[in-house]
Amino acid sequence: MENVLLRCGPFGARDGEGRVLFESAVLELPERSVTVLEGPSGCGKSTLLRMISGLLPTTGEEIRELGGRSYGRSELPEWRAGVTLLAQDAPVLPGTLEWNLEWPFRLRAADGRAFPRERAAALLEAVGLGGVAADREARSLSGGERHRLALVRGLLWDPPVLLADEPFSGLDRKMAEVCRRLLEAFAARSGHAALVVLHDPIVDRDSVRRIRMTPRGMEVA
Amino acid sequence: MNPALIALTPSDLVVASLFVLVAAGLSVALRLGLERRILVAAVRTVVQLGLLGLVLERVFAVRRPIVVVAMIAWMIVFAGREAVARSTRRYGGIWLDAWLTMTVSCLLVGGVVTRVVVGVTPWWEPQYVIPLLGMILGNSLNGISLALERLLEHLDTRRAEVELLLAFGATRAEALREPLRTALRTGLIPITNAMTAAGIVALPGMMTGQILAGTPPMQAVAYQVVVMFMLAAANAIGAVVISLGATRRLVTREGTLRLERLFRAGGARGRGKGRAVRRSAG
Repeated sequence: MENVLLRCGPFGARDGEGRVLFESAVLELPERSVTVLEGPSGCGKSTLLRMISGLLPTTGEEIRELGGRSYGRSELPEWRAGVTLLAQDAPVLPGTLEWNLEWPFRLRAADGRAFPRERAAALLEAVGLGGVAADREARSLSGGERHRLALVRGLLWDPPVLLADEPFSGLDRKMAEVCRRLLEAFAARSGHAALVVLHDPIVDRDSVRRIRMTPRGMEVA
Repeated sequence: MNPALIALTPSDLVVASLFVLVAAGLSVALRLGLERRILVAAVRTVVQLGLLGLVLERVFAVRRPIVVVAMIAWMIVFAGREAVARSTRRYGGIWLDAWLTMTVSCLLVGGVVTRVVVGVTPWWEPQYVIPLLGMILGNSLNGISLALERLLEHLDTRRAEVELLLAFGATRAEALREPLRTALRTGLIPITNAMTAAGIVALPGMMTGQILAGTPPMQAVAYQVVVMFMLAAANAIGAVVISLGATRRLVTREGTLRLERLFRAGGARGRGKGRAVRRSAG
């Protein structure tokens, strides 16, 4: 097994009625890997992703380590800049398609990085959005188009780790395949990894690392 | 008293109440179904203002600072309550925030106006302090409730956008820039409109009152200008303080959303909601 790039946990969550969804979930992602998070619908996969990203409140006793560096609670914004969640339903900000790719580079977290305009054009072309006008209002895009836009935004941001919550929903098989390859290429590089929640197991199950969520914890399948 | 002031007698008020009967009669004739509510509202006007008049006469007569301060505290409590009652969304701690905001804007703006601009002596002179602070509270109330409603609506309905920004490493300030901006804009629009239209579309109420009471028009204008600027500050301070208070409770410093603290007004704690519904139904 290669170096562990990300280690975080333990996390626990309950559903609306107080039943335990998962307890002491600890997650490790090896470098240069795509890990698929599996589990029945409603078992808390999205919740776990949002807890890893620190968008949902947690006990505060968990550890968050990325590339050997440990992140405290007050460093959550820096952590998220490096362990970036592509949320379910691919939200967009009001504004143009181009603005929706560019805004992360205006954040303090960008640390002066410039928006890679040429790579953006190439990626948009690759996911079939090359023909969409750059000044098109992003909120008018279809669900599938927004998911592709979200993936391109994540790839341009290029953090060490992407947490992708159903990134291929609303895509036809051919386009889902294109997007999967892009995500795999992202994660195959040194210092990178991806954790993916998938509704349809379109990835080749044998080619990726799989983790099954159970109420007792995580099992590497 | 001022020689220019024509005193109203009880019989004048009886004649005036005929106007309300005209409105109620219109409602009966056109089957608007509002006559009951018009009459209740008219009775409330008489009772509430009558009580206020009695209280003010006592406060003016007693001439003790502690009484004036108590009256102001009482006004702050009710202004804060009304600001929350108007909000269709609430969060844990909203009452405290509303009272805190009211107190801040009341003391800050009220202090400067009564001490520095008007130069009231003694500092608690009720004839000046109570009406001025009353206007400040009424306007802070507007700024607070408008800004709060807009902010909570944004966090509730556009949560995904805020989370999207946070997910890419935005700080709390970066992620909340847009919701705060729209909330403050919304809170400041009414007073901006009022300043724009002042004297053209409508004679401001306070100035009208002063002229009726015999104040030379230019003096009344000077007071109205002071009051308008004061109210602009009251609106702005109210909107800013409540917005910062609310975001501090609903988003942690490290950018974790605590929207489980946000709830819709209704149910046991929701008398404000019922009022809001009735208001919009009217």
